[in-house]
Amino acid sequence: MSILMNDSTRVIVQGITGRIGSAQTHWMLEYGTRVVGGVTPGKGGTTVEGVPVFDSVLEAVKETGANASVFFVPAAFVLDAFLETIDAGVKLIVIVPEHIPVKDVLKMRSYAMEKGVFALGPTTPGILVPGMGKMGIMPASLFAPGRVGIISRSGTLSYEFAGILSETNVGQSTVVGMGADPVVLRNLADILELFENDKDTDAVIVVGEVGGEQEEKAAGFIARKMSKPVAAYIAGRYSPQGKKMGHAGAIVRGSAGTHAGKHEALRAAGVEVLESPIDVAKWAKKHKLK
Amino acid sequence: MRLHEYEALDIFEQNRIPVPRRELVSDMHDALHAAGEIGYPVIIKAQVLVGGRGLAGGIRTASNADELKEAADTLFNSEIKGMPVRKALVCQKVDIATELYLGMTVDGYSGKPVIVVSTEGGVLIEETAKTSPEKIAAIHIEPSFGYYPYQARSLLRMLGLEQKLITPWSEIIGQLYHIATRYEALIAEINPLVVLSNGALMAVDAVLEVDDSALSRIRFPLPDRVDRIENPLERRGREIGVTYVDLDGDIGLISSGAGLGMASMDIIGQKMKPANFLETGGGITADLLYRCMELIMMKPDLRGIFINVYGGINPIHEGAKGVIRYMQEHNVRIPVVAKALGNRQEETWEIFKSGGVHVVTEAATEKAVDVLYKLVGPGGKSGAGRAKTGAKRA
Repeated sequence: MSILMNDSTRVIVQGITGRIGSAQTHWMLEYGTRVVGGVTPGKGGTTVEGVPVFDSVLEAVKETGANASVFFVPAAFVLDAFLETIDAGVKLIVIVPEHIPVKDVLKMRSYAMEKGVFALGPTTPGILVPGMGKMGIMPASLFAPGRVGIISRSGTLSYEFAGILSETNVGQSTVVGMGADPVVLRNLADILELFENDKDTDAVIVVGEVGGEQEEKAAGFIARKMSKPVAAYIAGRYSPQGKKMGHAGAIVRGSAGTHAGKHEALRAAGVEVLESPIDVAKWAKKHKLK
Repeated sequence: MRLHEYEALDIFEQNRIPVPRRELVSDMHDALHAAGEIGYPVIIKAQVLVGGRGLAGGIRTASNADELKEAADTLFNSEIKGMPVRKALVCQKVDIATELYLGMTVDGYSGKPVIVVSTEGGVLIEETAKTSPEKIAAIHIEPSFGYYPYQARSLLRMLGLEQKLITPWSEIIGQLYHIATRYEALIAEINPLVVLSNGALMAVDAVLEVDDSALSRIRFPLPDRVDRIENPLERRGREIGVTYVDLDGDIGLISSGAGLGMASMDIIGQKMKPANFLETGGGITADLLYRCMELIMMKPDLRGIFINVYGGINPIHEGAKGVIRYMQEHNVRIPVVAKALGNRQEETWEIFKSGGVHVVTEAATEKAVDVLYKLVGPGGKSGAGRAKTGAKRA
């Protein structure tokens, strides 16, 4: 029925007492998400939106049976809270905050991989399963239940693509924000693999953007392993040169994350490349997606 | 944040990486004095934060005072890729036997730092990667273990360099890794790393780009980052906390995310031309959007404004209040089109409408851009919109 979240997902909100944490807890509950607890060190024993707050992740997990966590923690404290969350045994973590130092993200990613934790972000809108629940900040009004998977590097563009599909009566199985930072906690190909193996997803849309080499790498995976139709849109055709960092990590392999380079790699893998977001409606119609 | 070459060279020197004798100057008189101290021949290098500085005429050699006068005069009265030259570095010209490349960055795909070396120094590593990838070697660093000297020795062997370089080579790589770690550098690069005629190694250029997200915790003196943005509108964007890129079209743009902003630019560019890129990130308030309107309206010849925002993390109803307050106070007469969807969207639409904003309630940005196009009509600028980097034109 979905990837990453299902009806046994029990969510805690870290940083629940903050301005954004409490507001987003309200929206997640309103959407039907099972938010079972929150964590803010020093605020244990209080409640937010009727949800009990704990001082530590371990306590929250023990008391509520939580198995997933969404972060609204200030960037400077994310690494510490992330390690605490993994040590408490949580296996799905969504990191919404932006501006987390890359050095911290490298440590987070390395530890998550070692412990078999699926983590998304930083700078992600999170996960939304239409009609079931959401971890993160996606605005519910744009989504509808259905059988198309969406993976997006940009938060706002994940809403845009879901919105266009929903208006044409094409629903989504799961919408995943992979995060917009130069280093993210999970690569695009890992999320594609989940959709490929999900019996309730018929096709996948990749919403990428210029920079890095996630799309180029994923193209290789798509060519080798994906049987379901994949469409892709890459934002930033007209992004001025020199306003983005040129990362040697991409450069070494002879590719610098350009719009044209991504289009070429995706097309070569059999992906239908969309020139403009609205073209996703035609693509969905052509494949008779629901 | 990218440091100037002179700042990076100072940091390299403090950390025992051999660098040339040099002096920072801001006019021709100082340049001549510096060269007198250093001794001819010298190289004078414009201190501007653009890539490909050498090819754009920003690096010149002088073997006597007359040549230096002419070179300095030309540099200080020119722009390098749109950037005025305010400072230049006068450097000792060293005897070079071979030019190598040494760079460190973060490989986003593997999630690890990577050390990249090449026997082709002094050219863009991107070009070497395309034309002769066999001249490049790279080693990834495990984040939990860090760098160890055997990795430098492996790189030396991989490139087939002479064994006698092993000590200075390992030391420089170790020190650059140390700097990259302490300064949380996303890029630390020496290009070229030269082998001198006496067999020693020296960094004759230095690139250091510090992770913006780590600036507040780096315990070493760093220059103010707002200061180094040449374009006054882009500087103002940084001050109010948004990303603003100055373009040469006539349609103002405000978006609530980077991806949406880029897509909006691409769609506007199909029939019209964006005057700017602006994305707010997750910090929208009424005041912020008031300031964003003020910022985009600093360009005098706008024909229309396109606002594209989602209420996920952002309170868009608050943002709408800021927009219409600006429009009322400044009697804005050009068409303003807003596509605003998400949490509290109906309330947001009412606020926008009450201020005379044309509201689009469908998700596709293309449809909203069409509405704007019908309002402003043809006849303006069209196309992609080129970046305006220089201070003069803004």
